Amino acid sequence: MKHDAPLDDARLVQVARGLGERAADRLDVERAARGVVARWRAEPRHLAARPALIGIAPAWLRIAAALVLVVGGAVALGIWRGGARGLAAPTEIVDLSDLSAGELNELLSSVAETPGAEPVLPQDVGLDDLTASQLRVLLESLEA
Amino acid sequence: MRHSEPVAAVPSPTDAALITAWQGGDEQAATELVRRHARALARFLVGAGAPEAELDDLVQETFIRAFRAVGAFRGQCQFRTWLLTIGGNVVKDAHRRAKRERVVALPDGLRAADGDPLEQTEAAEVEGRLAAGLGRLPRLQREVFLLRAQQGLEYEEIAAALGTTPGAARVHYHHAVRRLKEFVK
Repeated sequence: MKHDAPLDDARLVQVARGLGERAADRLDVERAARGVVARWRAEPRHLAARPALIGIAPAWLRIAAALVLVVGGAVALGIWRGGARGLAAPTEIVDLSDLSAGELNELLSSVAETPGAEPVLPQDVGLDDLTASQLRVLLESLEA
Repeated sequence: MRHSEPVAAVPSPTDAALITAWQGGDEQAATELVRRHARALARFLVGAGAPEAELDDLVQETFIRAFRAVGAFRGQCQFRTWLLTIGGNVVKDAHRRAKRERVVALPDGLRAADGDPLEQTEAAEVEGRLAAGLGRLPRLQREVFLLRAQQGLEYEEIAAALGTTPGAARVHYHHAVRRLKEFVK
């Protein structure tokens, strides 16, 4: 073959068909097969062949399931607490100066039970001694 | 004396049957799949630029990756075609590793081989130039060319394996041929 002559399509395909043929002939197929099986046996179980959805999804499914449980639990707890106390869900602005000492005590104890809020023990606070504005500041700090 | 009836050849199981058997834990089915496709895969890997010294390892790696992902194989193309496309990824990763490790491997065509020395030299020279030309092609053109010219696949099959259209595969093939002719002349 002349090196400066372009290959025609047929010759190119012919050369391509022979490309790697000798190397492939030298490949020990039985040894390769044994190697594949041995390597597969050494694979961790979680990498075993499974449908893609089953093989990949569990991590996401577990996260999604955990989120559903957390959110659902929180909602259920809120509903249960709201129902137990007989508190109305809608929030309305209340002028604390209109509340009696007993009502303020009840309100404060309900706020004190809010998860994450610092507990306020009734014996530590003499609500009768506080003014309406002091009570408002106290409630706002608790809500924050 | 009664002549014995010719024994009907037992049809060999299809690839799909072997895959199903293997998924059921039949390692012999995996062995049969390797026997069936390893040489075609090896030729493709060499065409894609795999050094012969690593060929055995790369063949095994390709099968392992295929077996890991076989759950995602939906029969959109033949198992062998799908296997070859995985082989293309394996070669690409091997090249990345080789760059990091600064390993320079001789192309298969430049290695010593048995047979008529003159014939071998000429064949090796042409193959070497073709391999070098393939190495300069974009990956998609290279794989389409190899699947078409080396493996003899139809454009529809190539397109299904590579996630493109038969028309696009045809265009990639013709671009590859044109550029290879320039490289190899």
